[in-house]
Amino acid sequence: MKVEIVNLKKHFGATRAVDDVSFAFSSGQVVGFVGPNGAGKTTTMRILATLDEPTVGDALIDGVSVVEEPERARQLVGYVPDSLPTHRDMSVHEYLDFFARAYGLKGGRREKVIESVEEFTGLVVIRDKMLVALSKGMKQRVSLARALLHDPPVLIMDEPAAGLDPRARIELRELLRVLSSQGKAILISSHILTELAEICHAAVIIERGSVLMAGAIGDLLASGAPHRTVLIRVTSERERLYRELLETPRVEKASLAGEEIAVEINGDEEACCDLLAALISRGHRVVEFKQQRANLEEIFMNVTKGAVQ
Amino acid sequence: MNFASRSVFTSDAINPIVIKELRQAVQSRFVIAALLTLLTIQIVAIGIYILASGGSLFGFDAGRQAFLMLFAILQVIGMLFVPLYTAVRLAAERSDTNVDLLFITTIKPRSIIAGKMFAALTLTALIYSACMPFMAFTYFLRGIDLPSIFISLGVGFVVVVACAQAAVFVALIPVNRAFKVIFGLIALIIFGIAYFATMAGVSGVVTRGVVGRDFWQGIIIIGLVICFLVGLFFVMSVALIMPAASNRALAVRLFITAAWLLMGVAALTNGSIEKDHSPVIVWLVMFEIIFALAIFAAVSERDQPGRRVLRSIPQSRPGRAQAFFFFSGAANGLTWASVMIALTLAVVWVWGKLFPIHGNVGDLFNSAKWMGGMCLYFFCYAMTGALLRRRLFSRVKTEATWLIGVILLAVGSVAPFLIGYIVFFNDQWWKEDFDAWWVGNPFAWGNKGHRVLYASVAGLWAALVAAMSLPWFIERVKSFRPATRVVESDAFEIR
Repeated sequence: MKVEIVNLKKHFGATRAVDDVSFAFSSGQVVGFVGPNGAGKTTTMRILATLDEPTVGDALIDGVSVVEEPERARQLVGYVPDSLPTHRDMSVHEYLDFFARAYGLKGGRREKVIESVEEFTGLVVIRDKMLVALSKGMKQRVSLARALLHDPPVLIMDEPAAGLDPRARIELRELLRVLSSQGKAILISSHILTELAEICHAAVIIERGSVLMAGAIGDLLASGAPHRTVLIRVTSERERLYRELLETPRVEKASLAGEEIAVEINGDEEACCDLLAALISRGHRVVEFKQQRANLEEIFMNVTKGAVQ
Repeated sequence: MNFASRSVFTSDAINPIVIKELRQAVQSRFVIAALLTLLTIQIVAIGIYILASGGSLFGFDAGRQAFLMLFAILQVIGMLFVPLYTAVRLAAERSDTNVDLLFITTIKPRSIIAGKMFAALTLTALIYSACMPFMAFTYFLRGIDLPSIFISLGVGFVVVVACAQAAVFVALIPVNRAFKVIFGLIALIIFGIAYFATMAGVSGVVTRGVVGRDFWQGIIIIGLVICFLVGLFFVMSVALIMPAASNRALAVRLFITAAWLLMGVAALTNGSIEKDHSPVIVWLVMFEIIFALAIFAAVSERDQPGRRVLRSIPQSRPGRAQAFFFFSGAANGLTWASVMIALTLAVVWVWGKLFPIHGNVGDLFNSAKWMGGMCLYFFCYAMTGALLRRRLFSRVKTEATWLIGVILLAVGSVAPFLIGYIVFFNDQWWKEDFDAWWVGNPFAWGNKGHRVLYASVAGLWAALVAAMSLPWFIERVKSFRPATRVVESDAFEIR
């Protein structure tokens, strides 16, 4: 199963909400869709969910065009929008039952599917509660449960963690991990970048409707930091180590930072290993030697300008 | 099949929208409150009537009067509550702030509208059932028979359902909230007119009883017109919730064309049997108004049909010609509406020439001239609106072209008269000939003395806008070709 977004453009009058966005991802991958407000994330996701039509381009889900065959595409996509379910006068179970019927599930199979989805998303205890009486976290679970009813191979999730408390976020993260391990392709947008880095295998950074950067999280982090920074802590002779480091080849910069020494190395991970070996061979008692990696937040701040349309 | 499996089978066979809507309705405080209010009003009304009637309670028309009073209350509640409840819920579900996830399920658009309508129908049946005992009670007061009661309730029921379908359509019109309120108020006025018409009709039924050929003839004609309107609003509502890229206009145009043909045949047959042109006049007026409005709808359609539409265009030339007529697209819609207007007028003209001996042939030709002139002006205003949007107001969305046309129509209908009045109101010739200044008003063709002037102006104007739109039209015709799928993915794959 492959999701391909091909030269996607969506114009609202003079505004180019999405401007030639292309990327693809496959089953089992969780892809973070990152960008400032108004970057075009929701528009792209709505197109994938067949709610909007692109001005130019297409999105293919397992080769099925969302423009030309939206009915078939809908069977392959589960969409969790940024708005939560607001249906009045309906319990959780009735809500799920309605959508299961709308997806064509019949008889005993429908009941079984609803039960298993309720169990998976932890909704069993609140299945008879009215939707309007639920907390944001619970509504988010209901929204996810609804998107899973027809067992879609692709999940599109727009800001699923927004407004959730830490516990609900952790629980959502765990659910996503399980779904990913089940082989679902997941595209997820979020403003909480640290969390995305933990869940996602890859990320796409978008601004003003255009993709600025895309790739596996590891590659993005590496490309975001050509110089590696290592933090070293020794039990004694910190000053001597500091002076030695300043004279060590490939060390571009060293500075005292509390009990640690921050060292900027021009090189790859092998260079870091060489430095550690050299320190030990020189008799330094190294307690900690850790590589400080650039995080998604830093990369995001570096590549985006915060511009909106 | 045992009871349990039969009930599961039945449950699966029911439209999911109906189940959802009814589940929500029975749990809705609003619905329960409305129902209880209706019953309370009915009890209070019949109680007051009995107490205040005194000796006249035993008169020969006590039952009729009581029935009409209860029916008036029932119809007010039914015609206000059911359409309002159905439309407001639908509009809320379709609002931008609340993504209605129903539209990303595999359920078909026509099932969504059918489900909403069936739920409205059930709600109406619930209201009518609750009031049935009060209505039946009036039978014991004398002056009314059971067939009249049931026919009247049937008529009322059909009118409520028709109003609910019209309200569903209004709720789905893709305009902002302000326009939705305006359209809602217009619908409310029309419902008001329908209410008084229903009351007048039902009053006639209970007074004269369900007897006579004229009665059944009237019921059949009204029933057919209501069925047509309900069907029309249904297909238009379905078209409005279909994806923008799909062939939304096809079902609407096919439905109207089929209805035009069937009702035309029925009107001509009836006219020749009765030796009367009235049925043909009704057919002419009804469909010319629909086609005139269709011109405004057509100019608001996409210039270039969506990819789904293009992919379904037949390869053969005759197939393509037929498809051009019925498929979505502004040029397609304009062609269809214009051809249908011309065809209707041609049929009427030929019919009038074939049967000049019928008494009201003058009315037939007069109506044809009136409708033809009105359609010509509608064409001019809509096409001018489309030209203005393309050349001057390119930032205005295509969907809003009808609005430019309507504004032009409003201005053009009164501006010449007002200008003439302001400039020449003291002149003798103005006082003698001010009707000429209604030129530009599509509804002023009743002034027979100035029809040549109106027709000359409208004809010149239509020729001018048609000539100016010709390059656009030719381009649209040329581009109406079957498209092949050309999506080649070179998207960067994230690994």
